[in-house]
Amino acid sequence: MTAIAVEAAHGFSWRRVIAVVRRQGLVQYRNPGMWFLLLALPVVDAVLFASIGVAYGDGVAPVRILFTGIMLFHLVWQLTLAGSLGFLEEVWSKNVLNLLTTPIRELEYAVALGLVGLARTVVAMGLIGAVGAGLYALDPDAAGWVLVPAAAVLLLFGWAVALMVVGLTLQYGDSAEVFSWGTLVLLMPVSGVFYPVEALPGALQAVARVIPLTRAFDATRVGIEGGTVAASDLVVAAVGSAVAVALAFWFVLRQLRRFRQQGWVTKFT
Amino acid sequence: MGALLEADALVKAFDGFRAVDEVTLHVSSGERVAIVGPNGAGKTTTLLLVLGAIEPDTGTVRVGGFDLPRERPQAMNSIGFAAGYLPLPDRLEVVEALRFFADLTDLADPATAVEHAIEELDIEHLRHKLCMTLSSGQRTLVGIAKATLHRPRLLVLDEPTASLDPDIALRVRDRLARLNAEHHTSLLLTSHDMREVETLTERVVFLRAGRIIADGAPTDVVAAGGHDSLEGLFLAEAARLREAQL
Repeated sequence: MTAIAVEAAHGFSWRRVIAVVRRQGLVQYRNPGMWFLLLALPVVDAVLFASIGVAYGDGVAPVRILFTGIMLFHLVWQLTLAGSLGFLEEVWSKNVLNLLTTPIRELEYAVALGLVGLARTVVAMGLIGAVGAGLYALDPDAAGWVLVPAAAVLLLFGWAVALMVVGLTLQYGDSAEVFSWGTLVLLMPVSGVFYPVEALPGALQAVARVIPLTRAFDATRVGIEGGTVAASDLVVAAVGSAVAVALAFWFVLRQLRRFRQQGWVTKFT
Repeated sequence: MGALLEADALVKAFDGFRAVDEVTLHVSSGERVAIVGPNGAGKTTTLLLVLGAIEPDTGTVRVGGFDLPRERPQAMNSIGFAAGYLPLPDRLEVVEALRFFADLTDLADPATAVEHAIEELDIEHLRHKLCMTLSSGQRTLVGIAKATLHRPRLLVLDEPTASLDPDIALRVRDRLARLNAEHHTSLLLTSHDMREVETLTERVVFLRAGRIIADGAPTDVVAAGGHDSLEGLFLAEAARLREAQL
C-alpha cells in the first residue's frame, strides 16, 4: 500500500467549507425539486405580485412596493432554505453520523451553508430583477440605497431562522422539514412585507412590532414612497436581528449538546 | 505512552435503562479488538461513545491523546468509521463522495488518497455510480474506502460485513487485515459473525446488558466461559438472554 501524507490538524479549514459547498451544489444540480424552489418559484412570485400591483394599484408605486416586497422576501427565504434544507439533505441521506465522524467543525458547516444560501439568494434576486425590468419596466432598486442595509438585516434574520430550523431538525429529524419552508411563510403576513403594519388586525399589529423583519420592510417602503432612508427603523431591525441570531446560536449549541447527551444520532442511522 | 483509545468507566443510560454500564476499554496501536454480545448488549452504543457521537453520562474518552467531545475535530483525524447499515450521501457519485470525505480530513493530497482507495478496494467500476444506486455489498466496500482513505490510526467498524456475499466479505476482511499489518492500524469492530471475529481480531470484549463480562484473547474468553468455540459461547449467552426475557 502507498503511504498517505496527513497534515497536522489545524483550526478552521476553508477546504472543508468548500467541500460542503461543492456537495450542496451537486445535490442542487441533481435534484429537480431544488431547481423548482430556486428558479421557478421566484419567477412565479415576481409575476404574481407585480401583476396584482398592475391590476389593482393606482400608479407605479403599489407595483414597486409589491415587487420589492416579494424580492426581499425571496432574499430571506432562499437563505433560510439553503440552511435548513442543506442540513435536511444530510438527514435524508442518513449522512449525519458520517459527518460526525469526520474532523469538520460546526462553524465550518454553518459557514458553508451560509455561502450556499448567499449563492441561492443572488440567483433568485437576479431572476426577480430580470422579471421586473424585462416584463414590467420596474427598477429592482427603486427603493434606493435603503435596500443595502435592509437586505443585510434580512440576511441576518434569515440566518437566524435557518439556525433555528437546524436546531429543530437535530431533535425531530425530517419531521422538521415543514419549518424549513414554513417558518417564513408564517412570518410573511405579520411582518408587513406588502403593506404597512397598520393594515393588520389590532392583535396582530402587536406581534408585527416585535418581528425585526417588519422594520426592514417598513424602511424599504419609506424608501420607495419618499426616497429617504428610515435610519431608526433600520437600527431597530438590525438590533432585533442580531438578538435573533444570538438566540438562534444559543439554541443550536444547546440542541447539539442535547443531541450528544440524548443519543439522538441513533434516529439518523 | 498511553493507549490509542482510552475509554474509561463509560456509563450511558436512556430513559433510566443503562445501555452501557461502567465499560472501560483501552485499545493499543495496532491492536485488533472485537466487541461482541447479543442484540441489545450495548455494542453499538459503546462504539458511538468512542466516536464522540454520544456523550457518556459519566466516564471519559480519549483518542490519540485528544479528549472527546471537546477535541473532536483533532480526534477524528485519527479515526475512520464504517457501518454496514450506514448509507453514503445520496446524490453524489462514488468518487465525489470519497473526495468529499477526503476533503474533510487533514490529508495533504486528498485527490491522490481517493485514487489509492479506489484502487486498493478494486472499485474502479463504481467510480461514477451514484451512491444511492449501490447494492449493499458495493456500499460496504465504498464505506470501507471512505473510512480508510485518510489512513486512520483507529478503524471503528460496526458490523462491517453484515449481509455481504462471502466473496465481498472476504475482500473486506483482507483489506482490514492488510491495513493492520502494513500500517499498524488498530481495529475496533462489532460483529455477529464469530468466525470473522476469530479470524480478524486478537482480543474479544464480551458484553452482557451493557457490562463487560469477558475481555481477552478469543481462546482465553472461550475457555473461561467453558465452551469449545466463540460461536458456542455466543449461542449460550443468547439463549441465557432469551430465558431471562421470558
